[in-house]
Amino acid sequence: MRTPKIQRAFLLLLASCTFNSCASLSLQWVDYAWPVESVLKVGEHNTMEDGRYAVSIRVTNLALEEFQDSTALVGASLRLIRNEEGFYFVTGPKFKNVYVFTPGPSELNMKSKIPVAEAGLKSPALNQRRPYVEVVDGRAWKKLLTNDTIVDEEKK
Amino acid sequence: MRQLTIALALFFTYTFLQGNMIAQESDYDVKVNFESACKAIKDSIDGAKTTAALDALKSGVDSLETEYAPREKFLDKALYPETFAGKITNLKNLFQLTYERVYLIQNQGITIEELEGRIILLSARIDTLSSERNRLFAELEENKSSVGKMRETIRKLTATLLAKDRLIFALVDSIFLPYDKNLNQMGDIQKEAIAAKLLRSNVAARVYDIAADNLKFLQTTTLQPKDYAGMIDQHVQFTAKWSGLREKINAVSYASEAEKTGKGKGKTGQQVAAAAAQTHVDSVLMDWDSKLASVFWGALNKEFTDKGVKVLPFTDGRSFSVSIRTYVDSAKAKGENTKTFVDEVWKGRIDKEWRDALSKESMLGKTEYAALDKYVSTLSEEKLDAKLFMYIGIVLVLVLLAWWIFGRKAKTAAPTK
Repeated sequence: MRTPKIQRAFLLLLASCTFNSCASLSLQWVDYAWPVESVLKVGEHNTMEDGRYAVSIRVTNLALEEFQDSTALVGASLRLIRNEEGFYFVTGPKFKNVYVFTPGPSELNMKSKIPVAEAGLKSPALNQRRPYVEVVDGRAWKKLLTNDTIVDEEKK
Repeated sequence: MRQLTIALALFFTYTFLQGNMIAQESDYDVKVNFESACKAIKDSIDGAKTTAALDALKSGVDSLETEYAPREKFLDKALYPETFAGKITNLKNLFQLTYERVYLIQNQGITIEELEGRIILLSARIDTLSSERNRLFAELEENKSSVGKMRETIRKLTATLLAKDRLIFALVDSIFLPYDKNLNQMGDIQKEAIAAKLLRSNVAARVYDIAADNLKFLQTTTLQPKDYAGMIDQHVQFTAKWSGLREKINAVSYASEAEKTGKGKGKTGQQVAAAAAQTHVDSVLMDWDSKLASVFWGALNKEFTDKGVKVLPFTDGRSFSVSIRTYVDSAKAKGENTKTFVDEVWKGRIDKEWRDALSKESMLGKTEYAALDKYVSTLSEEKLDAKLFMYIGIVLVLVLLAWWIFGRKAKTAAPTK
């Protein structure tokens, strides 16, 4: 009677190891960085679509968060870029913040909201500056951002 | 002057964009401004009409390359699947091609204008001949009862069809003449210009029209043996010219479509239409060919059957040759009387009326006709030889008879002395 119990335990251990090894498979050195931001116009259904990377995002909640108005972004051109770690950075004209999102299944979850301009951005742009993302406002100033904070800023 | 203004406007636009590039902080703007500058220069090159305007644009391309070269790595990624070097090379190639074209047009401007005028004139004359052809076809139907009138109409109709044939290829020559005759060395823009002219002049449809007219002519007319030589020549020349023209049309239409749609893509609407038009022409040419062959060999066959000479039926040069040789061999073997075949059919009709047409390479060919004629003449030689032997025999018999009579008289007279 002892032998089958040992066999069963061994099989369980083997199966557990097999499933564990499947679950823990991961690939390293993934670089998600986009070389250049996408400038995307928000359509009448509060959706913006990027042709190059085939991303489509509904921005109703972003409009509510930034402007407390779900339709505030309709017709606006938002700037979207992805850094090398895979976080999405979003901002746009009149925004006071740069939003950082982490991708999930059919959604983007806000990781951080970085205040960059108290009076709102006038002519914003996002540049890829590894390992950071740079936010510029026309020729006025530029700031280097991590996923959750400003690391350097330069005024002109 | 207008061109120079455009070039200057482009220069200022470019300078403005360049100024932005230096000051701009957004990578996106760098990309967009580079693309805008490329497009502005490309449009200006496309629209340039003088080499002076193009010279100004050349420095624009060089400056663009110099200014954006430091951002090459970024632009390669941002412009993917295109590259910075690719964009600049495309502009330089376009410049080169346009420069060659504009230079050619500037230096052959008068010739091109003359040829353009000639194309219009030729198109109009072809249309006039089409009306004349329609009238003559109707006249042919009316004059079928009168042989004399019908022959006259056929003569006019043949001349009209031939003139139309010559005009259409003169039209094609006029289209290709201003450009380099070697299509491989021709730029895509030049090819595109030719393709447009071919389309405008409705060349494929006109070629089809001529082939169809000739087919209709064969279907509605009874030709005399001597008419065939001209018809065969016309068909052979037309087929050869069409073959050359088809290659040219393909070369220019594919190039122009590749220019518009990007290389390596499938057939476009214009190519499909061109291919369909060519298939139509090929099809009517095949009909013309088979109709001409059937009418020709049928009429030739009738020459033998009308005189009651039984030869094997034939449908082409090879079977005609076999048929005649078989007849000659059979006549020799059986010792038949071949007077009708030799004198009435071969000498009286074939050699007199059909020789020119049969000597055409597409029918029997000169060599084979000569060989066949020699082979038929052996029937006369044999007859001649038999007669000769008969005459010699008669003479010999007479000589022998005379000798026997007079020789014997002389011998019998001697003892009386």
